[in-house]
Amino acid sequence: MPRARGSGIIVALLAAASAPLVLMYVFLVIETVGEAPPGQLLPDGFTLENWRFLWEDLPGKANIWAVTLNTFIFASATTVIVLAVSSTAGYALSRINLPFRAYFLAGVLVLHAFPTVTLIIAIFLVLQMIGLYNTLTGVILVKASLELPLGIWIMKGFYDTVPWEIEMAGVQDGASRFTVWRRLILPQVTPGILALGVFSFLAGWSEFILPQVLAPDNKVQVLSVYLAGLIADDYDLNFALFKSIGLFYVIPVVILYLFFQDKLMNIYGGGTKG
Amino acid sequence: MTPGKWLGVLFLMPATLFVVVFFLSPVLLTAVFAFTSMSTATGVGEGGYLITPSTLHRLAERGMDRSTAESLGATTYLVNPETLSRARAAGVAAATLDELGQRHAGKSFDGRRGFERALKSLNNRPRSVRALKQAARHFETSVLNRTFGQREDLLAALAASGVRLSDEDRERLVDASYTGWTWTTDNLRRMFGTADTAQVLANTLIYVFVTLILFNTGFALVLAITTFYLPTTEAAVFRGIWFLPRITPPVLYVLLWKWFAWDTGFLSTVLGWFGVASRNWMLDTAFNAWVFVVLINGFVGASMGMIIFSSAIRAIPEPLFWASEVDGASRWQQVRRIILPQLRWPILFVTSYQTLSLLTSFEYILLATDGGPGSTTEVWSLAAYHTALNNYAGNLQYGYGAALALVLVIIGVVLSLLYLRIFNFDALVARPRIET
Repeated sequence: MPRARGSGIIVALLAAASAPLVLMYVFLVIETVGEAPPGQLLPDGFTLENWRFLWEDLPGKANIWAVTLNTFIFASATTVIVLAVSSTAGYALSRINLPFRAYFLAGVLVLHAFPTVTLIIAIFLVLQMIGLYNTLTGVILVKASLELPLGIWIMKGFYDTVPWEIEMAGVQDGASRFTVWRRLILPQVTPGILALGVFSFLAGWSEFILPQVLAPDNKVQVLSVYLAGLIADDYDLNFALFKSIGLFYVIPVVILYLFFQDKLMNIYGGGTKG
Repeated sequence: MTPGKWLGVLFLMPATLFVVVFFLSPVLLTAVFAFTSMSTATGVGEGGYLITPSTLHRLAERGMDRSTAESLGATTYLVNPETLSRARAAGVAAATLDELGQRHAGKSFDGRRGFERALKSLNNRPRSVRALKQAARHFETSVLNRTFGQREDLLAALAASGVRLSDEDRERLVDASYTGWTWTTDNLRRMFGTADTAQVLANTLIYVFVTLILFNTGFALVLAITTFYLPTTEAAVFRGIWFLPRITPPVLYVLLWKWFAWDTGFLSTVLGWFGVASRNWMLDTAFNAWVFVVLINGFVGASMGMIIFSSAIRAIPEPLFWASEVDGASRWQQVRRIILPQLRWPILFVTSYQTLSLLTSFEYILLATDGGPGSTTEVWSLAAYHTALNNYAGNLQYGYGAALALVLVIIGVVLSLLYLRIFNFDALVARPRIET
C-alpha cells in the first residue's frame, strides 16, 4: 500500500485536532491524585484527599457504595433480561417459520432505528400510573425493553451464521426444536451472547437520562445521577473531586472494554448514540 | 400448528410483552398525553373535587350569582352522628354531647354565634368559654378546602351544608372544582402559536446540521481517510483516541469538557499565563455555547462514521490503489476518484442515521449548557424535557411536553420507516429452511 509519503503532516494535523481529547483524558487521571495550586496545571504533590468520598459520605449525598451497588444491580439486571429475551426471540425470528415473521422482523428493525429518548415523557407518566416510579425495578424494565430491538437484531444475526446442518442433524436424530436450540445451537452463539452481554452492561452502567428521570431518589440513585447531581449542585466546582468520582465510575467500563474490545466494535459500529 | 411453531410463539412472547408495554405503548401514549392538560397541578391519576376561595371567584366570573358563590364559602355548624363522634374522639365531655345529640340532632346552624348559644343553653354545657369554643369547632362544616374523591361526595357534602344550588350552578361548580386533567387541544395551538417554538426550531436546525456536516460525516470522513493512509500503529492510536468519547459515560465526558472550558479550568488557566482574564468559556456568550454544544456532540458523533467509513474503505480492492499509483495519481485524486464514490452508501447511511439521533438527543446539551445561556441553546428535545420533566418554575406541564415530544416521535416513526425502505433490508429476511 502507498502509505509512507507525507504522513508526517497528516499525523501533525490529526494530533492537533485530537489534542483537546488527549488533554482531557490525561488530566482526568493526573488531577485525581495530584495537588496543584490555583493557576498551575501540573501537580507538585501527591494526595488522596480527592478520594475521600470512598470512606466518608459527601454532605447531603447517598453513600457511594450503596450507589455503586444500585448501578451494578441496574446494569446487570438489564443485561440478564436483554440476554434471556433476545436469545430466545432472536432464535425464533432466525430459524422458525412463524406466521407474520416478516412483520416481526420489520418491526424490530424500525424500533431499532427509532430514537427511544423521545418516549421518556410518556414512560415517566406510565411508571407514575403503575406505581413503579422511583424504583429500580421500573427503570430496569424500561431500559431492558428499549434495548431489546437492538439485542434481538444482533442475536438473530448470530443465529443466522450457524449452519443449518447442525440443526437438521439434531432434528433428524429425533430431538425437539427446544432441545436442539438448548444443546446444539446456543453453544454456537456464545460469542454473540458475550458481546451483547458486555454491551448491555456498559450501556446500563453509562445510562443517565432514564434513571435521572425515572428513579432520581437518593435510595435508588445510580452513579451517573449521583455524579450529575453533585456537579449541578455545586457553585464552586471542585473538579478534582468530581474527576475522582468519575474515574471511580469509569473503571469497570475501561476494564470491560480492554478485554472485549474486538467484540464490542461490531455493535458500536451500528450504535445508537449521537 | 406444529410443535416447532409453538416454540417460536413461546420464544417471541416475552420480547413482545416487554416491547409492547414499555416501548410501543409509550409511542401511542405520547399522542394521547399530548391532548391532555396533565401537569404537576392536575396529577396523572383521576382528579378530585376541591373548592377554594379562588374557585368561588372564578365561579362568580363565569356568571354564578355572587351571593350564591359566597354562600358556598360560608361555614355552618351541623349536629349529626359524624360531627358528634368527631367531638367525642377529641375529648369533649360525653354528657354534653349526649344532650346535644338528643336536642339538636340533624339541625344546622348558620353562624358560630347561633351554635354557641345553643351549646350554652344545654344543661350539661361546657364549663368554660374556652371549652365551649373548642367544642364548637368540631361541628364546623364547610365544603371549602376539602378534597372530595367523587362527584357524588361533593354533591352530598353540598346538600349537607344546606346550600341550595340550581342544576346549572351545580354543573358549573363541579366543573370549576375538578382538580384532575382534562382533554384539550390547547397544547397544539400553543405549540404552533408561540414565538418560542420558532426559536427552538431554529436552534434545533442549527444544532443538527452544523454538527452533522462538520463532525458526524465531515470529520468522520477525514479520520477514516487519513488513518487509512497512516501506518497501522499511528492509525490505531488515532482511532483509539477518537473512540474514547463513545465509551465514556456521558456524565463524565461532559464533566471533562466543563473542566476544559470553565473559569477555573484548563482554557482559563492557560490563557491566564498570557494575561487573558479567566472566564467561563462555555457559557459567557451564546456563540461560545454553540461552539461547545457542537464540539461536545461532534466529538462523540465522529466515531460512528469513522468506524463505518474505515471498514468501507478497507473493503475496496487494493489493486485499484496500486493501479492508480502506477498511473501517477495523487493522494487527492485517489480520494476523489476511488474512495469517495465507494463511500456513497455509507455516507448516506451515517447521515440519515445521525440526523435522527441528533434531532432527538439532548443528553449532552442538558449536561453541558442546559439550554443556556438564557435559552440560546435550547433545542426541541431539550425543550420537551424542560417542559415536562424538569424546570425551575416547578410546574411541570406533562401534556404540553408530550405534545412537543409527539412531533419528534412522528418524525422518528416516519424516518425509521423510510430508512428501512432505503437501506433495503429484505435480503436479511430470508425464510427458514426447517418447516417442522
